[in-house]
Amino acid sequence: MVHDDYKEMIPARALSALDAAEERALNEHLENCAECRKELEDWQATAAALSLASDPAEPSPKVRERILSEVRKDRASEVIPFTPTPRRNLWTSFGSLGAIAAVVLFAALSIGLAVLWRQNQGLKSADEFVQLVNTPGARVRELRGNDPGQSATAKLAYDRNGRAILMASKLPNVPQGKAYQLWFIVGDKPPVPGKTFVPDSAGNAVLNDEMPRDAVDADVYAITVEPASGSSAPTSPIYLRTF
Amino acid sequence: MQPEDDVKLLKAIAARDEAALAQLYDRYRVILFGLLMRILNNREEAEDVLQEVFLQVWRKAHDFDENRGRPFTWLVTLARSRGIDRLRTLAARERVAEASAREAVEEFSDAATDAFKSEQRGLVNKALAQLPDEQKRPLMLAYFDGLTQSEIATRLGAPLGTVKTRMRTGLMNLREQLAGKGESFGF
Repeated sequence: MVHDDYKEMIPARALSALDAAEERALNEHLENCAECRKELEDWQATAAALSLASDPAEPSPKVRERILSEVRKDRASEVIPFTPTPRRNLWTSFGSLGAIAAVVLFAALSIGLAVLWRQNQGLKSADEFVQLVNTPGARVRELRGNDPGQSATAKLAYDRNGRAILMASKLPNVPQGKAYQLWFIVGDKPPVPGKTFVPDSAGNAVLNDEMPRDAVDADVYAITVEPASGSSAPTSPIYLRTF
Repeated sequence: MQPEDDVKLLKAIAARDEAALAQLYDRYRVILFGLLMRILNNREEAEDVLQEVFLQVWRKAHDFDENRGRPFTWLVTLARSRGIDRLRTLAARERVAEASAREAVEEFSDAATDAFKSEQRGLVNKALAQLPDEQKRPLMLAYFDGLTQSEIATRLGAPLGTVKTRMRTGLMNLREQLAGKGESFGF
């Protein structure tokens, strides 16, 4: 077949009405012929106009809901499978992080609180957070993702008795049946599970927790995604952590 | 809304903007669902395919190339292709045979359509009405029933060469009739 033979087949191809062998042959030609590809695009526009010959019809509102629900699940799964940097296995190398001291950065804290205040718009939570921070011996740690492009952050305030409040923002939605879970990691010991939580639709979350005494001033605080009922040991990569 | 607005929506969807997807759905659901109902003649199947189509839009919006066609063409081609695929699957299961009577189609609000689509629909129907039946039937059997030229020849009891000529001539006539009458057709 020559170019003109293929060109003649294009209107039928736009209607996907070619027999299988013809379509295969034309597709091979299209790979090498820009003119015919353009021709196909033009005929597809004509074919698309035929859609308007059908009567418009209204689908059930449930279709819209289902689509948007699937999309949200998709978004959550796009972001959450989180691979720590290959150089460091975060669940096994806490010994090397043991020297990281928990430092209270009051200047940073005041800025951070103002941000949290706005982001969470939960004055009661922010009040409680401030009260906790003002408790003698209290500390605040910031949790971030390994990926610099990751916008989710959290701050964890806790006092010497183990009372803790986590305020997180810009967290992606979790898939149905899943929740975020807080972990306390001391030295090389297995991570101690904290509570689970689910952010609101804006990605904000406030979690009140009681950490075990030996987890006060833990080397690392981390957040993973777990089954909604919580896990006794982490089952997913770390999403946010203190550094 | 103009085609360039649709391009913006598709770009926003490619950037993972859910609201843009919802907006695109609101704009095209009535046309695409009408198309899928015409192809599948079954509300449940048509709704299922409509969902698949928009999830594909969500996942593949970055594949849309505005230099290669209008968003309308892209969306309709996607929906029709999915609809025909489903029709063939159903036909293979012999579940479509009994669907002779069209299902009742719910009323849709005027707000769900707009002047652009109504006008374009009028133009297409007028153009089709002017086509000789021998040209129109192969087009409709291919587009809405997903039949190949050989299948159409068998269905109509016409020689294959004749069907090929009539189909091509029919589509050329349609294009000529619509040319210059609506920028949004993309030709």
